[in-house]
Amino acid sequence: MVSNEEVSSIIDAYPRDRRYALAVMQDMQRTFNYVPENGLIATAEHLDCSVAQLYSMATFYKALSLKPKGKHIIKVCDGTACHLRGANNLVTGVKRELGIVPGEVTADGEFSLELVNCLGSCALAPVLVIDGVYHNKVKIDAIPSILKEHATPVVTQ
Amino acid sequence: MSTAKTLSLTIDGTPCTCESGEYLYDVAKRNGILIPVLCRSDAFEDHRACCRVCIVEVEIKGRRKVVTACVYPVEQECAVYTNSEKIVEERAIVLALLAKRAPESAEIVAMARYYKAPELDRLVELDGGRCILCGRCVQACESLGTGAISTINRGTEKEVSTPYHNPSLACVGCLSCANVCPTGAIPFIQAPSTRSIWGRDFEVLSCERCGAPMGTREEIAYAAKKAGMETPVICDACRKHEIADSMMGTYRLV
Repeated sequence: MVSNEEVSSIIDAYPRDRRYALAVMQDMQRTFNYVPENGLIATAEHLDCSVAQLYSMATFYKALSLKPKGKHIIKVCDGTACHLRGANNLVTGVKRELGIVPGEVTADGEFSLELVNCLGSCALAPVLVIDGVYHNKVKIDAIPSILKEHATPVVTQ
Repeated sequence: MSTAKTLSLTIDGTPCTCESGEYLYDVAKRNGILIPVLCRSDAFEDHRACCRVCIVEVEIKGRRKVVTACVYPVEQECAVYTNSEKIVEERAIVLALLAKRAPESAEIVAMARYYKAPELDRLVELDGGRCILCGRCVQACESLGTGAISTINRGTEKEVSTPYHNPSLACVGCLSCANVCPTGAIPFIQAPSTRSIWGRDFEVLSCERCGAPMGTREEIAYAAKKAGMETPVICDACRKHEIADSMMGTYRLV
C-alpha cells in the first residue's frame, strides 16, 4: 500500500491542469510499479477531473497498471518473427523457473511476466527483455541464468 | 461575426442549402431527410459517430466517398446519397455486427431486421449483450459534471463502468445514463421510494406538499448546488402554484 504522502509528493510537482493526467500516472507507475487507488483519487482532486476519467485512461494504456507489477519486468516478444522462433518456449521456460504466466507477478513481487508485441528486433528473434536489457536468440536452457542475472541478490547473514 | 458561406447541395436529389461547416446530419434533418443514428443525441454538442449507422455517400466533383453524417461538416457543394446501393449494404453490415454485440437489445434487433441486416452465422452472439459501447451514457454523466462512469479497458474487454467496479461516490442516481442509452443496456431498479443504479442504493424524496416523487436526495442537492439555489422540498408543479399564488396576491388579479 502506498501512503498518501508518497502520492502527494508526486502529484504536487505538477500544475493543476488536466493535460498532466497521463504524466502524473506515468510517474506513479515508475515510482510504485503501479497506479494505486488513492493515487488516482488524489490526482483527480488535484487536476479537477473525475476519478472515472482517470480510471478510463489507466485501463486504456498498457504502460499503466492498476495492480502492483514485479520489481523486474520480463517482456517476451510475441511478434511474428519471435513467435515463429519459439516465443512460447520462452514463456514455458519462465513458467518453469518462476511459476508465472503472462500477466502475473511472482509471490515475492520480484518478477512479472508480459507477452508483448513486436519489439523491433526481429533479426535477433526470439527476444526477451528484462528491465530494458535485451537478450537475443534466447534458448530455453539459458533462461535460469538470465533470470539469476537480474534477480535482486539475496543477502545471506 | 457571420462570414459563413451559404452552400447548396442535394441530398437524395432534394436541393438543400446550408452554411459552410454545418454537419450533414443537421442539414438533412432540417430538410426532412432522416439519417438513422444510434450514438448521436441532440442533447450533446459533440458527436462521436462511433456507431457508424449514420454513414452516407458524398459525391464531390464526380468522386464518391463514404462519410459519417453526424460529424461530416459540409464545406463544399456536393451530392449526398443516404440510400445508395453501397450505403444500404454497408449499413446493413454495421447493424448486423451491432446485433451480434447486443442480441438482447430489442431496439438493435428490430433495427437490424428493418435494415435487412445479413445473418452473419459465422460470428457468435455476445452472451447477454445489450451495450453497443456508443458512449452516450458517459457523455451524459460527464456533461452533468458528475463523471461517475467511463469506458474502461479496451478492445474486446471494453465496457462502461464505475472506477474499480465499485459503487461510485460521484453518482447522484439521476438515471441520465440510463435515459440516454439507445439500447436500454444500463440496469436500474426504481421503486416508489428507492432507486438503485451502478450498485448503489438511493432514497427517492417526495414533494412535501403533493407527495409526487422528485428524485434522489443526492440528485436534488446536486442540481440545487449547481443552480445556486436552496435545496427544494416541493416539486416543480407545486412551486409554480406557489409562485402563481403569490403573484395573484401581489397584483390582486382575482
